[in-house]
Amino acid sequence: MEAKKVIVPRLAPNMESGVLVAWLKAEGDKVAAGDVLYEIETDKVVSQIEAETEGELKRIIVDEGELVSPGQAVAEMLC
Amino acid sequence: MEKKVEKRPVVSSGCCSAEAGVRSRIKNPEAFPVIAKPKWLKVNYNAKDTREVMELMERLNLHTVCREANCPNLGECYRKRTATFMILGSICTRVCRFCNVCSGRPLPIDPDEPRHLAEAAKQLNLLHVVVTSVNRDDLADGGASQFVAVIQELRKALPQATVEVLIPDLEGNREALQSILEAEPDVLNHNIETVPHLYKAIRPQAKYQQSLDILRWSADYAHESYARRLERDPKARGRMLIKTGLMLGLGEDDEQLNEVFTDLVRERVDVLTLGQYLRPTEFHAPVKRYVTPDKFEEYREQALAAGLGFVAASPMVRSSYRAEEALAAVRAKEAAALHANK
Repeated sequence: MEAKKVIVPRLAPNMESGVLVAWLKAEGDKVAAGDVLYEIETDKVVSQIEAETEGELKRIIVDEGELVSPGQAVAEMLC
Repeated sequence: MEKKVEKRPVVSSGCCSAEAGVRSRIKNPEAFPVIAKPKWLKVNYNAKDTREVMELMERLNLHTVCREANCPNLGECYRKRTATFMILGSICTRVCRFCNVCSGRPLPIDPDEPRHLAEAAKQLNLLHVVVTSVNRDDLADGGASQFVAVIQELRKALPQATVEVLIPDLEGNREALQSILEAEPDVLNHNIETVPHLYKAIRPQAKYQQSLDILRWSADYAHESYARRLERDPKARGRMLIKTGLMLGLGEDDEQLNEVFTDLVRERVDVLTLGQYLRPTEFHAPVKRYVTPDKFEEYREQALAAGLGFVAASPMVRSSYRAEEALAAVRAKEAAALHANK
């Protein structure tokens, strides 16, 4: 098991920021690849961001309601 | 041949990387809250599933409107290994108030683009290829010859695939349009975008009547060409379909929409798409209303009642969203009608 950062994807070429509106998993939850981890609201829509790999959500770094940018780490997963 | 274009801004505000950083320069982003969206405006995104298509496009120096326009369906479509190609570069000569594509001085045309596009379509195993472009008002033919080259390359590389072109208004250049029509795409799409009274505010460099002309000329050609082919070969490939679309939520009302439906039926349009307008950045036209899924269904029924053959209407519908299914549905309907007539 290694700790891996959960990184905000660049949802559009000109995306600068979005609001992390909700976490759908809690610290300690087991996560399967494809499970929705959290939601980001940008100008157009709310994107449900899926886990790329399976593992365990170890630590949430960014809380709901905060502004996030592409490339930023919002959590740590054990995979 | 290039023609002179009036002075225009290099980039429109907030649309592309050249302007990136605008939002981050706002001192207190909290003062610009993102307005809560209705619950049906949710999409899934998995970075891993989009990588393959992203890398393919980058490697072949191709653009997709999915990415340039910040399409909310990108995650779904790329996952399914489908995309809508955007040719003639990624810089548009027009500045429309709804569109996220960069405006400015376009780069020279890439002569390898048609071949690369066909190669990408082949690698993705596409059965239905959708090709659109930026406006190229700087070119005498508006870029029509590149559309023709792309259609020809696709026919060579993927003879079984159907081809849909989503073209600009070519400034009403009928000769340029004719050249695209003679390349016989399976679907000719030109978006009317919005109701006539919003053109000045939303599509200032376009004219409603000019866009209707494009659709009418295309429909005239499609019917004549099909009749000629049928004479030679009763089993000839189906008639070219004429398609258009509108964004809702820009300030249009029901009556104005129904007038547009009537216009489209008169010009013999086959397929209509209706979707929710979503503002790409705070510098674009505001969303005046979020149309509910039920209301979309109502508009769909009204458009069908007006006489349109196939209507796709729901919040996330875009011009090329599930375009393959629309084409198949219209073809099936036509086959059934033909059968009933026999």
